[in-house]
Amino acid sequence: MSYLKILNQKEKAEIEYKLHEQFGISSVPGMIVMRGQERLFLFSGNLSEEEINKLEKCTFIERMGVYFAKIVDDSLRLSIEGSQILKEQIDKNIFELDEKQAEEWMKGHELPIKTGSHGFIIMKHEGDFLGTGKASEEKIGNFIPKNRRLKEKQG
Amino acid sequence: MGSKREYELKPLFLERMKKLLGKEINSYLEILKKPLQNSIRCNTLKISPEELLSRLRNKGWEIIQPFKNHPEIMIIKTDLAPGEIGRSMEHLLGYYYVQEIASMLPILALKPKPRELVLDLAAAPGSKTSQMAAEMENIGTIIANDVSIGRLKILASNMERCGATNAILTKKEGIALCKRLKQEGFLFDKILVDAPCSGEGTLRSSSATAIMWNPKTIRSLSRLQKGLLTSALEILRPGGEIVYSTCTHAPEENEEVVDFVLNEFKGIVKVEEIKLPIKCRSGLTTWLDNQYSKQIEKSCRIYPQDNDTEGFFLAKIRRIK
Repeated sequence: MSYLKILNQKEKAEIEYKLHEQFGISSVPGMIVMRGQERLFLFSGNLSEEEINKLEKCTFIERMGVYFAKIVDDSLRLSIEGSQILKEQIDKNIFELDEKQAEEWMKGHELPIKTGSHGFIIMKHEGDFLGTGKASEEKIGNFIPKNRRLKEKQG
Repeated sequence: MGSKREYELKPLFLERMKKLLGKEINSYLEILKKPLQNSIRCNTLKISPEELLSRLRNKGWEIIQPFKNHPEIMIIKTDLAPGEIGRSMEHLLGYYYVQEIASMLPILALKPKPRELVLDLAAAPGSKTSQMAAEMENIGTIIANDVSIGRLKILASNMERCGATNAILTKKEGIALCKRLKQEGFLFDKILVDAPCSGEGTLRSSSATAIMWNPKTIRSLSRLQKGLLTSALEILRPGGEIVYSTCTHAPEENEEVVDFVLNEFKGIVKVEEIKLPIKCRSGLTTWLDNQYSKQIEKSCRIYPQDNDTEGFFLAKIRRIK
């Protein structure tokens, strides 16, 4: 596929290795499809690669599955869906937010919190997995896309 | 979800609706003035109906679940500010989809199952496609197609928010796509043809429909719908099922289309009974000077006044060989 690339076993294992290192995730349940150089999609459908190639002969494939992670330098940043889909496996680099912080987070604000960690951390409030933040010395950087943000209250 | 009627219905449209409804035209016109109920569908790919219900009630929202066998379907009874349902944390996290009840019915009729190969021929904006993925528990494959790149982007965004991982999104004109899929040997277990239509059933939410309504459009849409349904039937495996649906009352876009394919595929397809949790009326077998197959009585007409929803039409067709 020219636009989308289905990762082979070795390439998928490399992604899983990184996910394990960062968040304790051991396996991604489905095919990993790469779009461009950095966006990773999880496809859980049961079409074989051969059938997908046949489908591509029929029509332009815009997307397969759900965007779940982005490659940033040598690390992976999970999207909201990535963190939700893989939540049962995530057991490290999780940061628990209180209700007020979770609301600020979902508004797209960076949080002035010293976490003691550096790099990507999974943001969580009770049972809600809220994507990934980037922890630095003084704050947690926010990557919630605009169309998924809570609106600021008026007045 | 809806606004009060602030438009005039065209005389020919009214005349046709009187023909369809007889004395009931008054209750039909009355309900058009009433705003739609705020209905949502719990996205069971991410949260259980019980958990969502508890969260929404904790926000102070009064919620009812109108159908015992479909706890995922909920109606919000509380008066909320415009847009509030789409701005909640639960919506942003993909825990529910704002969807009119009539629009949930095609998937209840189609009953897609895990491991099936399903085609959604006119998929955007994705309410029914994401409902399909939930019914299939993200197992099996959905090919979700739309002809417009703009609408496809909305579909992609909604599918992502819902965490629907088993869908492949494609862009092609529907009839041409079916032809190519046939050439490549694809056969589907289930197909949804939720066809582009004149939208007469959406008058409670869209005044533009009343303004744009004209009989010429109905004729040209009917031709397109016949083409779409015929092409889709070509790639349905024997034993497979298609749901053909529209959000219009015009028989030319509904019964006439089904009658057309029954003639084109004589002895190969048949219309199946549909069981839905709301009041449905039988499909017509006569309209103006036309006679349609008796089988079409098994299809469903949904009128807004019957269930306090939008209007819809559904027919389920099985390929028997």
